[in-house]
Amino acid sequence: MASDKTLVVSNPSQLGNARTRRDFLRIMGVGGVVVLLPSVLSSCNNDDDNDDIFGPGGQPGSGNTVTIDFAKGDIAVLQFAYALEQLEADFYTKVVAASGGSNLTAADNAVMGDLKNHEIIHREFLKIALGSNASFTLTPTYPGVNFSNRTSVLTTARTFEDLGVAAYNGAAQYITSTTNLLVAGKIVSVEGRHASAIRDLINPKSGDFAPNTFDDAFRPAKVAQAAQGFIVDKLALANAPTAFVQGPNNNG
Amino acid sequence: MENQTLLETIDPEIADRIVSRSDEISRGASVSSSLAAALAIGSVPIALAALAKDVGAQTNNDVVDVLQFALLLEYLEAEFYIRATDAAGLIPAEDRTIFQTIRFHETVHFQTLRTLISQKGATPITKPTFDFTAKGAVPNPFAAGNYAVFLQLSMAFEDTGVRAFKGQAGRLINDKPILTAALTIHSVEARHASVVRRLRGKKGWIVGNSREDLPAFTQPIYDGEQNTVHAGVDAAPLGTGNGGINAVTEAFDEPLTKDQVTAIVTPFLA
Repeated sequence: MASDKTLVVSNPSQLGNARTRRDFLRIMGVGGVVVLLPSVLSSCNNDDDNDDIFGPGGQPGSGNTVTIDFAKGDIAVLQFAYALEQLEADFYTKVVAASGGSNLTAADNAVMGDLKNHEIIHREFLKIALGSNASFTLTPTYPGVNFSNRTSVLTTARTFEDLGVAAYNGAAQYITSTTNLLVAGKIVSVEGRHASAIRDLINPKSGDFAPNTFDDAFRPAKVAQAAQGFIVDKLALANAPTAFVQGPNNNG
Repeated sequence: MENQTLLETIDPEIADRIVSRSDEISRGASVSSSLAAALAIGSVPIALAALAKDVGAQTNNDVVDVLQFALLLEYLEAEFYIRATDAAGLIPAEDRTIFQTIRFHETVHFQTLRTLISQKGATPITKPTFDFTAKGAVPNPFAAGNYAVFLQLSMAFEDTGVRAFKGQAGRLINDKPILTAALTIHSVEARHASVVRRLRGKKGWIVGNSREDLPAFTQPIYDGEQNTVHAGVDAAPLGTGNGGINAVTEAFDEPLTKDQVTAIVTPFLA
């Protein structure tokens, strides 16, 4: 019965299962449906269901609409980056805050601490650069992420870093100022360094640090769709360019 | 079709083959023959050439110049990793997958750049002869027992590559297909740099303008990395409570000019 866009959860333990979590994120990213069978809901009776399933922030896309208007040109691209950096900075802040009770190793935590600092600096830098155009603050949510679990934390970090790389690589074509293009270039390679480090922590000495010969370049709508799974606000793109130049992977 | 794309019509089977080949290498498959990797992806540049003709990108001297410059760097990196992975007694077994992966990437990168240059109506530069001792500045990095030397140069080349591509991005701003292709190489070079640095026990990101434990002659690769001002905004104060000035410099990679990169690479040209 289950289609590609339906995930059936029959047992609450499935919600903590890596396979299910991945499916969940994928499905939420494509506007699918998650079916929680009664056994799951009844087992959650004494809790706030939203807390269990979506984290304290609430359901992705259930909040106010935040619109990034691409009629603003370079500003919109930087706003888009600002949105992603807000998400990343919040995530690593939570990871570091939870590190006392998680099973991350000392080596993991050293990387997480650096990434927290880098992403906060990116966020705050873009906030200054955007000035009055940095007027929105997103509320992140982490459906299915277990901050005390190493695998959960690292695989989520991998998702964010790979997405960040693909986002900058894909949005660069809409930048008209070489100054702004350079700023994006200064940040994207650091995101690439992050992605490599996270992947190296997950699977040391494998080829996973760079899984493709060319990195992905995703159009903003595709990035927004993936990011929406972690954002309570409804992330909307106005006047998003219809033309998109694909990168070598032809998957943006 | 709404997309303007360089590679959109690429044969999906070819794309699959790139992915699966990459996966094989990730799993530790041997790439003992230099030819194997080249043959496996040999059809990619041909496909690119066939498919990108109608993009309408007219010959542009500036863009070609950037591509030729990138090609020189990719030639250097590809030969470096081909020779290292073919060398007996150099790379420990447990580290081979990393360098076979990088070797594969750099090989495809240079082949792709050659194709893009041809599509612009220009002739790709021929591969120069390299001297990986930098005129005697370091011992032969491929000699058995010189793995530490090889690792030092690997870090130096990857960190250089990231900065070199970044420095050229502005010249590609009006050629979106080339810009996008170059950026997708640029961030892969950053992934390479990070894994090699970490393999050497360093952070995956550059701290200040530190060359870490590399020889003094590599310092120009790191000069300028301590910059904190981007688009006129000084990020230095943002380090307060967030890792200090080191974190601020780590969070942004800096470009190098073509002249700066040329000066760095020249000792490696025989």
